[in-house]
Amino acid sequence: MTNFNWLLDGSIVGLYLLVTMAAGLYVRKYVGKVDDFLVAGREMNVYLGIASLAATEFGIVTCMYTAEAGYKYGFAGATPGIAMALSMLVIGYTGFCIKPLRDSGVITIPQLIEKQFGPRVRWAAGVVIVLGGLLNMGVFLRIGGQFLVTIVGLKVTSFNLFGYQVGYLEAMMTVLLVGVATYTILGGMLSVLITDFLQFVVMSVGLIAVTLLVLVYVGWDKIVTTVEANYGAGGFNPFVHPDLGWPYVLFQVMLNFAAVLTWQTTIARVLAAKDSLTGQKIYVRTSFFFVCRFLIPGIWGIAALATLGQVTNSLDAMPTFLATFVPVGLMGLCIAAMLAADMSTDSSYMLTWGSVIYNDIMGPFRKEAWSEKKGILINRMIVALIGVFLLFYGLWYPLEGDVWTYLGITGTIYLASISVLLISSCYWKGANSWGAFGSIFFAAAIPVMFLVLEKTPGTKDLAKQIGPYYSGIAAYVFSALAMFTFSLLKPRKGEIA
Amino acid sequence: MRYIWLILTITAVVWYTFVTAYVAFKGVTDIKEMLKKLGEKD
Repeated sequence: MTNFNWLLDGSIVGLYLLVTMAAGLYVRKYVGKVDDFLVAGREMNVYLGIASLAATEFGIVTCMYTAEAGYKYGFAGATPGIAMALSMLVIGYTGFCIKPLRDSGVITIPQLIEKQFGPRVRWAAGVVIVLGGLLNMGVFLRIGGQFLVTIVGLKVTSFNLFGYQVGYLEAMMTVLLVGVATYTILGGMLSVLITDFLQFVVMSVGLIAVTLLVLVYVGWDKIVTTVEANYGAGGFNPFVHPDLGWPYVLFQVMLNFAAVLTWQTTIARVLAAKDSLTGQKIYVRTSFFFVCRFLIPGIWGIAALATLGQVTNSLDAMPTFLATFVPVGLMGLCIAAMLAADMSTDSSYMLTWGSVIYNDIMGPFRKEAWSEKKGILINRMIVALIGVFLLFYGLWYPLEGDVWTYLGITGTIYLASISVLLISSCYWKGANSWGAFGSIFFAAAIPVMFLVLEKTPGTKDLAKQIGPYYSGIAAYVFSALAMFTFSLLKPRKGEIA
Repeated sequence: MRYIWLILTITAVVWYTFVTAYVAFKGVTDIKEMLKKLGEKD
């Protein structure tokens, strides 16, 4: 059952897609240099920055996992949003790390890291950033497709195409990816910024409209009583929730602080800003959006719980609820909003991980400087290859547990070490390459080990006992300790090794 | 605790509505300026 009307809602979605694609393709003529392609010539101002940052960090996957958090944990599930908003406000206000980073004129974080730790550390940092980032992004397409298939209400799972049975989910994933990849490959960051702006407006109007509808027709009292009945005090306070507690809160604080400092798609907005003050303003003024980012879909998730009760797959609860709750006409806007959210996220993510591959992983192997034309061509090929990887990884990887935890763990692979490296390179002259390698090793090894334990039948129970929060905290703590200890162990110039 | 979430929800909806309208208006100027500068560079 769904309220989706192919004629009316389908036309709204079609019109949105047409305008976005046209705008994305139009600005490709301004791309003449690699800098234009990767950081939009560093000409981005505050309001475009706010729109782009907000649109990038809110995709269908975000909406799905934050709604799932609301469904599973009540209001306590919105804790990461508060942690992220506070981190962004503090970092934006003080300029902690982001000011020296933007002032240095680099394109990526590893480029700054090289200045203190050398080219090998830059290369290793690039590898963990891409590894963590792509593993993280690998599930975006599947979840986006899952949302669309559910909300549109496709009853059959596959259709016949030239004699082959093609799944609707897979077809949705492919169509989404091809659309996004086309304008990202041609226009780079410029297309991303322009489409991000349009997507921010469409996405926000849709999110606000659906939230008002939920608050009016489901009602605040029902939302609160549902949380009370299902989770008691823990539904309002993460510290007393039996599945969350202080390890969850501490992990969220560490994870979100590190993400605001070093998540390449977030920091790319600071690096594309016209100066460091503009970058700081973008952070300060966007910070509260991150509360909305968790709380608004969280309320949709709670409303799904209030309306549907307990369902087998918590991830599907919110789209199943919206499919029959949102009326015809508004349904088109809602789907256009979600498509907008997803396209802006996918395009930005493909571009920024591509920029690290080009700049930091391939960079050291370039014996002579490439022409701007060749540089842009290589960047376009990298973005296309990332798209192909995402398609196959999304189809292959079976997601277990809740999505936010998976994203937190895979993100930690690089967030833990790169945040330590960035802070050290900005504020600790004594930090050196031994410390950097130690930090990268521990930060990557602990989450990867946890994922392997979780996927291996013999150690699955052990992974469950440890839990994702303790392993996440361990990654941050050991990464920082490794930087400190190994930096002190490395002999100084003039000392006997 | 429930009142904290009520206040936060109201603030989120009001703030988000205002910021969407404001950014939609001011963002257009930013785009025009950015494209103008990039055009001049070329």
